[in-house]
Amino acid sequence: MKKNSLGGRFLIGLCFLFLYLPIFLLIFFSFNASDSNVVWQGFSLRWYGELFHSRLVIESVATTLLVSLVATAIATVAGTFAAIGIYSLTKKWRDPVLMVNNIPMMNADIVTGVSLCLFFVAFFHGWGSIAAFINAHQSLVKLPEQLHLGIVTLILAHVCFNIPYVILNVAPRLRQMDSNLVDAAMDLGCTWMQAFTRVILPEIKPGIVSGALIAFTMSVDDFVISYFTAGSSIQTLSMAIYGMTKKRVTPVVNAVSTIVFLAVLIVLVINNILSARRAKAAASRASLEPVRVDPRVERFKQWLYTPRGRLARRLTAGVLCVAFVASTVFLTAFTQSRPVVNVCSWGEYIDEDLITEFEEETGIRVNYQTAESNETMYSLLKSGGADYDVIVPSDYMISQLIEEGMLAELDYSQIPNFELIDPRFRNLPYDPENKYTVPYTWGTVGIIYNAAMVDEEIHSWSALYDDKYAGQVLLIGNSRDAFGIALKYLGYSMNTTDEGQIREAYGLVSDAYERGVFQGKVMDEVFLAMEGGNAAFATYYAGDYLSMLEKNEDLRFVIPDEGSNWFVDAMCVLKTARNYDNALKWINFIASTDANLRNMDTIWYGSPNTEALEQYPAWYEEEYGEPLDPEIYHIIAPPQEVLERCEMYVCLPKATRTLYNDLWIKLGI
Amino acid sequence: MRNKRGWFAFPYVIWMALFVVIPIVIMLVYSLTVPVETAAGEAAQGSLENFTGMTLYASVFGRSFLLALVATLICLLIGYPVAYLMSREGPGFQRVAMALIMLPMWMNFLLRTYSWMAILENNGLLNQLFQKLGVISLYNRLTGSDIDHFKLLRTSGAVVLGMVYNYLPFMILPIYTVLTKLDPRLIEAAQDLGADAPTVFRRVTLPLSLSGIISGVTMVFVPSVSTFAISRLLGGGSQMMLGDLIENQFLGGAYNPHLGAAISMVMMVIVVICMLVMNHFGDGEGEAVML
Amino acid sequence: MSKELIRLKNVTQKFDGETVLDNVNIYFNDSEFLTLLGPSGCGKTTMLRIIGGFQTPTSGDVCFDGVRINDLPPYKRKINTVFQKYALFPHLNVYDNVAFGLRIPKEAEDGTKTKLPKDEIDRRVREMLDVVSLKGFEHRSIASLSGGQQQRVAIARALVNRPRVLLLDEPLGALDMRLRKDMQQELKRIQQRLGITFINVTHDQEEALAMSDTVVVINEGVIQQIGTPEDIYNEPKNAFVADFIGESNIVDGIMREDRVVEIFNRRFACLDGGFEKDEPVDVVIRPEDVDIVSEAEGQLRGVVTSVTFKGVHYDTIVDFYGFKWLIQTTDYCPVDSHIGIRIDPDGFHVMKKSKYSGMFGDYSSYSEEYDEINDPSRSAAEEAEGAEDEE
Repeated sequence: MKKNSLGGRFLIGLCFLFLYLPIFLLIFFSFNASDSNVVWQGFSLRWYGELFHSRLVIESVATTLLVSLVATAIATVAGTFAAIGIYSLTKKWRDPVLMVNNIPMMNADIVTGVSLCLFFVAFFHGWGSIAAFINAHQSLVKLPEQLHLGIVTLILAHVCFNIPYVILNVAPRLRQMDSNLVDAAMDLGCTWMQAFTRVILPEIKPGIVSGALIAFTMSVDDFVISYFTAGSSIQTLSMAIYGMTKKRVTPVVNAVSTIVFLAVLIVLVINNILSARRAKAAASRASLEPVRVDPRVERFKQWLYTPRGRLARRLTAGVLCVAFVASTVFLTAFTQSRPVVNVCSWGEYIDEDLITEFEEETGIRVNYQTAESNETMYSLLKSGGADYDVIVPSDYMISQLIEEGMLAELDYSQIPNFELIDPRFRNLPYDPENKYTVPYTWGTVGIIYNAAMVDEEIHSWSALYDDKYAGQVLLIGNSRDAFGIALKYLGYSMNTTDEGQIREAYGLVSDAYERGVFQGKVMDEVFLAMEGGNAAFATYYAGDYLSMLEKNEDLRFVIPDEGSNWFVDAMCVLKTARNYDNALKWINFIASTDANLRNMDTIWYGSPNTEALEQYPAWYEEEYGEPLDPEIYHIIAPPQEVLERCEMYVCLPKATRTLYNDLWIKLGI
Repeated sequence: MRNKRGWFAFPYVIWMALFVVIPIVIMLVYSLTVPVETAAGEAAQGSLENFTGMTLYASVFGRSFLLALVATLICLLIGYPVAYLMSREGPGFQRVAMALIMLPMWMNFLLRTYSWMAILENNGLLNQLFQKLGVISLYNRLTGSDIDHFKLLRTSGAVVLGMVYNYLPFMILPIYTVLTKLDPRLIEAAQDLGADAPTVFRRVTLPLSLSGIISGVTMVFVPSVSTFAISRLLGGGSQMMLGDLIENQFLGGAYNPHLGAAISMVMMVIVVICMLVMNHFGDGEGEAVML
Repeated sequence: MSKELIRLKNVTQKFDGETVLDNVNIYFNDSEFLTLLGPSGCGKTTMLRIIGGFQTPTSGDVCFDGVRINDLPPYKRKINTVFQKYALFPHLNVYDNVAFGLRIPKEAEDGTKTKLPKDEIDRRVREMLDVVSLKGFEHRSIASLSGGQQQRVAIARALVNRPRVLLLDEPLGALDMRLRKDMQQELKRIQQRLGITFINVTHDQEEALAMSDTVVVINEGVIQQIGTPEDIYNEPKNAFVADFIGESNIVDGIMREDRVVEIFNRRFACLDGGFEKDEPVDVVIRPEDVDIVSEAEGQLRGVVTSVTFKGVHYDTIVDFYGFKWLIQTTDYCPVDSHIGIRIDPDGFHVMKKSKYSGMFGDYSSYSEEYDEINDPSRSAAEEAEGAEDEE
């Protein structure tokens, strides 16, 4: 066959360069001393060390491996038998079965994910009434009445999309197999089962192996289907990364991925060398030369067939099986057996040491999850995808949840630390009698801008809609804040229900949008963009500004003269919570002064705890040996006169919410 | 004997009914109903509202299909020559090349896409490179503009790049598989009958690799048209695609699974129709060529 | 002399309503070499599969040693098979292929399972490899063997289990001419040495005649004739058999009386009798039984239309009154020469009319291959059988 010219090879090389450039960058920056993906600041193995302390990464890697292994194992066995079965069907039956088999592969992942999600939710719905009926009529077994998306649904979904890959790889092997082979085996005395294990299985083994490998790869790499079927209680690595891509992907993930990548690379290299050798051996065999095999290998092979060797083989297989089962059981037990509390909060919104501390103190495992926004969390709760005990929604969402009867009243006798909450943050409009909530943080929304890119002092929201800064402004990525700010700029209330005012605000935003003022809509992606100096303006929360300031000193924060939004995020317990007492323990723990101080220091959001708020400057000085910049303290805890300029969101009526949504989507299209 | 073995397929048929057919039926039911508030709480009521209201999103449909189509075309234009060139290499080279094409899948696709963000940012590696090379000042001098970077990220171009990058292997693999199975004697026969190289390619190689092209196009187009992670990361929220729209209805702000199901349904139907048309051109070669 | 071993009673086999075997009755004796001969799609492979147990007949009984075995699975039958294209296990080497059957634990009547001891297996495998002349090939992979070697492995693999009956499904089909001749002798030698029954399936009449003790000619699911190779060749029962076995000129004739047959309105002496007076019959004249003489001396006169040199003899096509005969002769007669022929009384073989009358035995368009290519029904039938094989 003609070989390619140099030019052809160059083209192939170029294609591979394109495929591998981002991967090289990832690997390269996993050794970076800082957490930047752009600026090299010296070699370090820091992230590889941190790997062992990052619970989120380790747990999600473990979940990914567990789910992929179990799903692949099930799918391989089921798919192999199904392939044999389908292959034995007459054409009349085979074709429709194969067609349905292809659906999960033809369909977009998102459709598969969505349909499975709806299926599970519908099933849980039906299950609830069946279980209630059964529980009411007998007392031998108690069936859980509430089911949730979780590891079981995740594995089912993975099995679902893996089986077709196995079938697709096994079927050609079956087709190529001489149809007389099975007859020949039976002719020689095999029962059908013996023929299966001695002839069919060895014949289709390559197909099974490649099918399993592809299924495993697909499982590990899958994001979309997991995203829709895993619910909130567990996370695969893909989901964890997706959560992180919005803010900052910690280089720990780069480190993990580098390790996996290099491991697979090594396996591939070894495999390649082996198969090249095998090909050579086959070639020499074809030329009828006696094959030269390493005598040690030959001796080892012979030994394998001695009784002792057979024992060793069986032992090895046994040990591997036991190890697999044990690790599965261990991982499941590890994640399930202890008393637990399921917490849902926002990304980078806690000092993670507090979680460990609470666990050590109480023996209760904290299953700490993060949601992207109030709305996402609400969706998860509505669809039954979530299994939370404690949630930390914002004010307006709290009143909506209360209105819909989704929150449980709190037993404040179990939360003595509630006494420490500043009266300013009690009995707020969202929970007037303070029956449901314990405040977690409070803060303001303002303009963050890069002083190196803007040569004026900013005092007004008008900068966000100014052609002067075209392409430099990041619009906040949720409808409430985006339109709320526009309403404030126009001099209206952020809580207006007047359709005309809201449409006027929409006009302001969409007009700027069309003139190309906005670089994009962002939520937590704002960190990366602002820290890297990729945009001049953004609207975001004060606490997050201070986090960014640590990375980029040119950033400034201002609460414009027109006023802004101030908010409280408060801890609540869901009515469906299965760990009510543990939830109260967690809330009490977080409400303590110590926890508030440390949280404030980590996330830079104001604390509602009177003591903590007062003590913070002193605590800071003691901790770091330098006084706290009063300006920063001012941003964390703005004085009362600033708060008076600001407005707190209230829950909007449904019609207005729908209007917001429609307008928001219109903006995106 | 054989028919007895056919029963092996039985459990799988039940499985498929349960986890493939019923979910799609449920999705259909969802798409044909809307939630209404009743005294007893929320209930569902049959309605076509989800479909009639979808005209609002026509431009999202348009953008999704356009971007996916462009990405698919680019994949084909890059993927075919690469697969063709690879298939003409020696077996050692081919083995290594195949492994290299599969390998990136072991690096999480979100992470790889995220890596592109660092490359494409306004202060990203590519813009820095342009600055060092003087491309930007040259551009400024030529056009009289005054920019210090090219806007690469959060554009439709970036989304297309992300799709091409993520799904290119899915184009190369099936085409490559078909090309390696091509009987070289057919080429020789064509040459023998007087065809020159371009004619051989046009009249023999290309038609015979059509099944590979079709499965490649399917495997690139379908995930592209439905992606939401890529458009979210590289499109910066300003390039809303069907995937985003659906995700938004299920796990996003605009919680409305009924509408989400309806959009999914429509997308599924359009994709299936596209595939049927493609397969029709592929002369009924329905056998999907895989990996 | 030899006793009956297998009997098929009223066996009918249908696939999707199509009758492949039609009420077949036949028995097979112990220790004989029997060949089922017939064109593709005639049902011979199906018959073999019924005996082997891979197919249960739609109706009728299969008896082995007098016991009905219709529902006995193949692994419990003392019958082994050499499959078409051999069906050797590609994942096993020569030794393991041959040892395959011996390594399967055998279940006795009472349900206990016994395994052959290792050294016993080893001894028998080596012995059998010796029988098929494959010593020293033990560790070779199947893919590295030639067609003939693969076939020997297949035979060894079947025989090592010491079956009472060996079924061979087109065993020589994949081999080239020379090798086929050698293997015919080899198979015959092995059969005689082991003294067991061989049932061979083939469409090659030469092979059938050369190897078999008994030949069974089958067409369209019906047995046409059973007999020794000599009987089949010399005394074909109908036009189909006459045409299928060797070359034949078949003409319409009338039996005027015993030992007198009339063809082309001319009476000839023959050796056959027992027909009605003036009964229309088919008359077979083998090409080698015709002598070419001068035009004047000939009983019939004709014109040579083509001559083909075949080595030992010439194939000469002669036109007699519009009917073309094939004559095999060592004398060369140029095309267009006018000749006469003589046929001795033992050169005529008279057959009763059958449904095959008039379909065979005319050499007007002389070329067997050409016939086959131009016969759409035939190729369709072949494809049908091919498809059936795959299913």
